[in-house]
Amino acid sequence: MLERGLEEKTYVLNLGPQHPSTHGVLRVELEMEGEFITKADPDIGYGHRGHEHMAENRTYAQFLPNMGRVDYLHALAYNQCYCMAVEKLLGLTVPERGEFIRVITAEMNRLCSHLLWVGAYLMDLGAFTPFLYCFDDREQLLDLLDYLTGSRLTYCFYRFGGVPVDIDDDFTTGCRKFIKRLRSRWADYDNLVTKNVIFIHRARGVGLITQDQCIRYGLTGPMVRGSGIPYDIRKSEPYSAYPRFDFEIPIGDRGDVMDRYLVRIREMEQSLRIIEQALDKIPTGPIMAEKVPKRIKPAAGEVYSAVETARGEFGCFIVSNGDVKPYRIKLRVPSFGNLSILPEIAVDTLVADLVAILGSIDVVVPEIDR
Amino acid sequence: MLQDDIQKALVPLNLELVTAGDYGKTGCHLEVTAAPGQMPEVAKNMLSLGCFLESLTGLHDPEHFTLVYHFGNFRELCRTEVNVKVPLDQEAVSISHIYPGANWYEREAYDLFGIRFAGHPDLRRILLPFEADFHPLLKKFEASSGDA
Repeated sequence: MLERGLEEKTYVLNLGPQHPSTHGVLRVELEMEGEFITKADPDIGYGHRGHEHMAENRTYAQFLPNMGRVDYLHALAYNQCYCMAVEKLLGLTVPERGEFIRVITAEMNRLCSHLLWVGAYLMDLGAFTPFLYCFDDREQLLDLLDYLTGSRLTYCFYRFGGVPVDIDDDFTTGCRKFIKRLRSRWADYDNLVTKNVIFIHRARGVGLITQDQCIRYGLTGPMVRGSGIPYDIRKSEPYSAYPRFDFEIPIGDRGDVMDRYLVRIREMEQSLRIIEQALDKIPTGPIMAEKVPKRIKPAAGEVYSAVETARGEFGCFIVSNGDVKPYRIKLRVPSFGNLSILPEIAVDTLVADLVAILGSIDVVVPEIDR
Repeated sequence: MLQDDIQKALVPLNLELVTAGDYGKTGCHLEVTAAPGQMPEVAKNMLSLGCFLESLTGLHDPEHFTLVYHFGNFRELCRTEVNVKVPLDQEAVSISHIYPGANWYEREAYDLFGIRFAGHPDLRRILLPFEADFHPLLKKFEASSGDA
């Protein structure tokens, strides 16, 4: 620790809004004393598009494409959560095969998101090569998802009551090939990154988060799992077909940047396990529920549904007053809560460490801004 | 059972309503209605039981605002929904000194609805520009090319 002299005075440093380490348009106003941060004030809202206001002005089905644009990195989880909420309001049950296809595609999308995060995060820390490896792998997944859904990023694939397109043999073969390929890459990732001494020095003991802080700030996802809380909605509040699969929840023990990194890396293997089991066990049958009403007009009432996205808990709270348009939709996004802890954990760290901490939160700024 | 513990902890507070919810239909195990001034006490009890604030949002009903708090728990599945009616011209009470995570949610409710929170340390706009003079989730608000 450097000793702080008497003649230092504080000054303000602007991080962002256009900065590669802020992953989107996020500005953090830093009050500095020499090299150390004394106060950090995140300024969000640059990408506020008013999704919640839009929701009140369009029908349930018209709002569906918006869900792919809130968090564009794990768009299918958002699709799924919104569809689940509306299905609950309507009392629809998705057929088993439909649920399996949802799980397969949502897990593939989670892998896309994690792969992008690993690459971009290590680039924040100064390593360029892993980025190319990750994007190479991610590209294979995007091709598969593109083949099935027709889009590469802002998916709008699920429908109220199921999925519109069934998977075929080409897709299944491609998935199995990809699983084999990604498994063969773990050793490369390990040698390149996890055992890299520069990375370990940047990541160990930085950005510590205690379990108590997780509760007081309402953190979710890899943020709490890195701190040793085994909280994953896929297990703790099982939805869709997840109870049928055997998978683990990786957790860390110290709650530092390194633990959050390892949790995400190990989670990718679990996603592969889920996809593999789903491909093996997928039942035959319909993919859409019968008797989905042409005009979606749920009875008055409210519903909260939650899913585990790559960043944590996404909750969709819908209030219906019996109209064709929702009365109110609240999107509880994981990054909003996760970022709100930054002012507390940024104090007394170096700017370089702040970049490491900010990256380890895995913020997707358009998701925070909605 | 956590649900019983929460119910037991909240009953002495004389809240308007503490009842089991229909989880299959609404996604909530417990439904609670409280007055704005009771919210800090409710929050203290929820925190002592290890619950975290999942989400906080407002609803603009014609006669009043409704604040909807969702509390979750890391150890056991139990979602508690707390509804707080706030008259249109009155303030709600902040719980950000108990749950620091509520700080941003309250700023968001202020930003989008204009609901003020008594005791909030820093009630600024959070998503909209600081100089904005409207609250977009009020039902009377209409976005048009002129407003944008």
